[in-house]
Amino acid sequence: MNKMKRCSMLAILCIGFLCSSLQAQDSQSRGDPQIPSFRKDVMPVFFRAGCNSGTCHGSARGKDGFMLSLFGYDPAGDYRRTVEEIPGRRINGSVPEESLLLLKATASVPHTGGKLFDPKSPLYQTLLKWIEAGAPDDSGAVPEVIGITLSNTSVVFDQPSGQLPLQVTANYSDGSTRDVTSLSRFFSNNPSVAQIDAQGLVTGHGFGDTNVFGRYSRFTVGAEVIVLPPADGFIWPDPPANNFIDRLVFQRLEKLRIVPSDLCDDQTFLRRVTLDLVGRPPTPLEYEGFMADEDPDKRASKIDALIATDDFADYQAALWAEQLRVIGGNYSTGATVIKAADRLANWIRDQFRKDRPLNEFVSEMTAASGPNIANGPVNLYTMLVHKPQVDPKMLAADFSQVFLGVQIQCAECHNHPFDRWTMDDYYGFVSFFTGVRRKPGVEAREKRIFWDDKSNPAISPVDGRARPAKTLGAIDPVGVQGDPRGELAKWLTSPENDIFAENIANRIWAHFLGRGVVEPVDDMRVSNPPTNAPLLDGLSKRLVELRFDLRSFVREICNSRVYQLASKPTPTNAKDTRQFSHAKLRRLRADVLLDSIVAVTGIPRNLPGWPAGTKAVHYYPRVSGDTEGPHPGDPFFETFGRSTRGTVCACETKSDPTLSQTMHLVVGDTIRERLSSPSVVKALLESHTQPEKIIETLFVRALSRKPTDKEQMDFRNFISGNESNPEIYEDIFWGLLNSTEFLFNH
Amino acid sequence: MLPRNQDRSQIKPSGCQDFRRLNRRVAMRVGSLGALSLCLGDLLRMRASADDGQTGAYSAQKAKGPLPQRIKSIIQLNLGGGFPQHESFDPKPEAPLEYRGPFGVVKTSNGDIFSDNFPKTAQIAKKLTVIRTLVGKVPDHGLATYHLSTGYTPTAVIDYPSMGAILSHELGPRGILPPFIAVPKRNAFAGNTGFLPSSYGAFEIGDDPANGKNFKVRDFSLPQGISLDRFNRRNAARELIENRIRSMETEPTTLDTMDGFYKKAYAVLTSPEAQRAFSFEGESDETFELYGAKVTGKVLAPDNKYHPKGLAERLIIARRLVEAGTRLVTIDYGAWDCHVDVKKCCDDYMQPLDYAISGLVTDLDRRGLLDSTLFWVTSEFGRTPKINKDSGRDHHARCYSMLLAGGGFQQGLIHGASDSVANEPARDGVLLEDLLYTIYHGLGIDADKELVAFGTRPIEIIKDGKLVSALLA
Repeated sequence: MNKMKRCSMLAILCIGFLCSSLQAQDSQSRGDPQIPSFRKDVMPVFFRAGCNSGTCHGSARGKDGFMLSLFGYDPAGDYRRTVEEIPGRRINGSVPEESLLLLKATASVPHTGGKLFDPKSPLYQTLLKWIEAGAPDDSGAVPEVIGITLSNTSVVFDQPSGQLPLQVTANYSDGSTRDVTSLSRFFSNNPSVAQIDAQGLVTGHGFGDTNVFGRYSRFTVGAEVIVLPPADGFIWPDPPANNFIDRLVFQRLEKLRIVPSDLCDDQTFLRRVTLDLVGRPPTPLEYEGFMADEDPDKRASKIDALIATDDFADYQAALWAEQLRVIGGNYSTGATVIKAADRLANWIRDQFRKDRPLNEFVSEMTAASGPNIANGPVNLYTMLVHKPQVDPKMLAADFSQVFLGVQIQCAECHNHPFDRWTMDDYYGFVSFFTGVRRKPGVEAREKRIFWDDKSNPAISPVDGRARPAKTLGAIDPVGVQGDPRGELAKWLTSPENDIFAENIANRIWAHFLGRGVVEPVDDMRVSNPPTNAPLLDGLSKRLVELRFDLRSFVREICNSRVYQLASKPTPTNAKDTRQFSHAKLRRLRADVLLDSIVAVTGIPRNLPGWPAGTKAVHYYPRVSGDTEGPHPGDPFFETFGRSTRGTVCACETKSDPTLSQTMHLVVGDTIRERLSSPSVVKALLESHTQPEKIIETLFVRALSRKPTDKEQMDFRNFISGNESNPEIYEDIFWGLLNSTEFLFNH
Repeated sequence: MLPRNQDRSQIKPSGCQDFRRLNRRVAMRVGSLGALSLCLGDLLRMRASADDGQTGAYSAQKAKGPLPQRIKSIIQLNLGGGFPQHESFDPKPEAPLEYRGPFGVVKTSNGDIFSDNFPKTAQIAKKLTVIRTLVGKVPDHGLATYHLSTGYTPTAVIDYPSMGAILSHELGPRGILPPFIAVPKRNAFAGNTGFLPSSYGAFEIGDDPANGKNFKVRDFSLPQGISLDRFNRRNAARELIENRIRSMETEPTTLDTMDGFYKKAYAVLTSPEAQRAFSFEGESDETFELYGAKVTGKVLAPDNKYHPKGLAERLIIARRLVEAGTRLVTIDYGAWDCHVDVKKCCDDYMQPLDYAISGLVTDLDRRGLLDSTLFWVTSEFGRTPKINKDSGRDHHARCYSMLLAGGGFQQGLIHGASDSVANEPARDGVLLEDLLYTIYHGLGIDADKELVAFGTRPIEIIKDGKLVSALLA
């Protein structure tokens, strides 16, 4: 086929996709229903048999000399490579049965991929009929698949052996539908709960909940599968619901026959909420005050009081600064000098202190232009991607990951295999950033961020054509002259954009519960569904209702009973890690841990590049040279897994315990230097405090609770004979700082 | 881009544009899934330990029966970036110049040839096992390094444990030291504990032995003024405090993991043997010389001098750790992503490597450790046969070389042959998975065994692995 014809074919295809109104011209393959269509019938065979998967011919370089586009994103190219690339090789028009395509697929000749189907199978018959008809290409508009549906989206089995067949129906652009179950592929997210076979038959396996998926064309759709544990002995305790969060979580738990834990006690609540809201443990004074308070609403009052502080705003601002990779250097090409970093960090802090709605906060950064030392928010375009030049593709990928929780970059080279995003979505999105440029500013090392009107939109490699700026999932480009980022900001942060609201709500939820409703929080996709869809929906709708007001939204989370559950499990919830049925043990973030050690011991810790007294949560790297990470910043941060800001990935922050962490706590300088010297213990001894009282004081300082009677007795025995020796109390203090109760939020 | 004159553990890898980003991102992503799956793994462990006691907590299926354990320990020297096979163990002197590359050849003691970058190694070839036909999967640093360390290419759903984590899990410690140690740090692209708990992860010693005799592992000895009695007392205080959270039955596996770390910390801090293993105490000058401690690269550093590369010191520490019972020590060396000027890349790093390989093998042999220790020189892939327009070579995973010594592998063997330009195996190709399977076999681990991830999902240590018996003595 000559080049022109190929282009026009593709153009027809694209138009057909964009607006399905184009009428089919005379179509040889559509005219005769006996002749399979390449796009509608033959390509699905490639898909179903796995020929165009990433490990086979769908690999970017093909396999053993034959390449297909991954999961069929490029039909015209696939036709050309199958039929025309080496005429007569893969398709044998005179003896169709001898076509290499068929011989390979049936392993009649050696085939690395083995035998895929039998000559009797319908898949084989489809290919054979098509070749017998002369292996025609489609002409005119072939109806496009515009979506698929599963016959059931929620399956509940009362026992593990339950079975249910699922059907996949494809919906076409001409309004027709077709049962494509036999041409679809299936997978389960957790086969230990439920499996799904190649025919779409779901079989329960073990108790729990998961999702199974059907894939056809470029679409993936899921169905939830629940395998219930036995009903005998299960009594739903019907715990009181403080707000919509409790109702949604408890509905889910009741359905899954999981009994949530009890409410946590006051001292646990106080420590948990203080750490989560202001990034430090409660002071002994706060502890005494809260425990003495007899107001039945004291928890709600405490939440209000903490949320109202600047400490709350500053902590949230610091988390955003980490997410946006704020790092200051002194290398001018990168436009990330310390002054610019400070300006952005201060701007973020100011927005949170003055309750700027989150959507406006993001919107202002998104549309920002101007000099980056004078104008904080414009540094989104210097910090998110630390590069000497603006890289539109990286920027698009990171922007989408941070603000939408979507990893769009998979669609750079192929339609996202497990999500709804296409290459058109990707390149259209990249075009929001193709004109973002930097030029020298007024001040030394200052850069001015501006939109270059002479810039061109991104080019899709499928057809070599430009894709003007277009929001994700939209059909038409935003169609503005010049800088399209204003339109991006509008779409992104509008209350109608569920993706944005869900992402923000989910990230905030994850901060307080230790796990997102979608986890990881920055990988939202069809095949990674929420563990409780109504909850995610409820949270995001509530965030919108509250006009993206962070303080109000956090107040609702903290006031929910779900947030205040104990970590002590019930017989039915001990194994649950996804449904928020009990509090999770969460190792403190590296910076919060360091701040906690400083707060509890009363001895400050200096951080490189910052004035004495700076809190670790507010630290961001200030380095000499370029800022292109990773920058752990301080050995303590490195050991305890603080984000190095090397990427925007949420996984940069690590909370796995390791042996190195323990070694550091046991013998490293952080605790060692804070036990001796003028210490808490010495002060207590010098004021002639009674041993019981010293022990109690140390417990309250470190764990925000009094020792139990048994502990008081244990430690009386422990110090027996050494009552006036500071070392013995230092050793108890050491034990407290090394305890799981101190190192974790529980 | 030029490989920089730095060690890969310290640099931003220089070779490929996307190396740092997407792939690092993938590596990081995998890390995060690890944290997630820890919880799921924990869950299972609770169940399993309730079912069948502590042993085999993650074993879905019992091994076929005990295998003899030939390999007690492994020293894995990873040459990250893609080690050029033409310039090392698979030279092609008869190929056209654009394939042959800039170096000559040297005869080996077992009657074959190596590149003339490796004269010392060639002399001890009778002790070595060279595979010239290793077949990987992906010519991408992040994915291939993960593949090398775990036997699987990364997926979005399951994070697989690396060999070190599997050894820790299956075999446990041999003596006081942690079973899996990274000198000085773990390769950022390699897998970690995957779906196994983080307690099976690598202990990173942090400080680099290349710092020479001043080398001291951070946070690794009891501080001055803290007696053993006092240290015991502190641990006792901690245990008294742990009783309460224990009694609440909250996440027992997390508590077990923390307790395990405190027990390990106690053990290494109070053991003179462990303390000695992390130092150069008693090593003679002759040993340093044998490993080539003073041998420099042939490329001038920015200060206009030639510098030794510190590999000798790292390998001496590795040998000491192995002697003290560590099962797997991993070391990274060099920056081999030679897209530009493959000659400079080799000149910079190969001479110290040549000395270090021959030094370590000779030393293990004379100490009687070569039989029970496997020295394994790895890279995530090799390099393309044809020299590119920048006088460099690009990524090539379909056929590359690896060097092994000891551990029951057949000494003096050159296994397999590549085609005339080292593009594809001409005979006896060895899939990476099969080599891993064979190494597990030597360790006494049946790699068909299934471990359990995600609740009850069984996953083979190596999927469909085969024993390459031709490699074994």
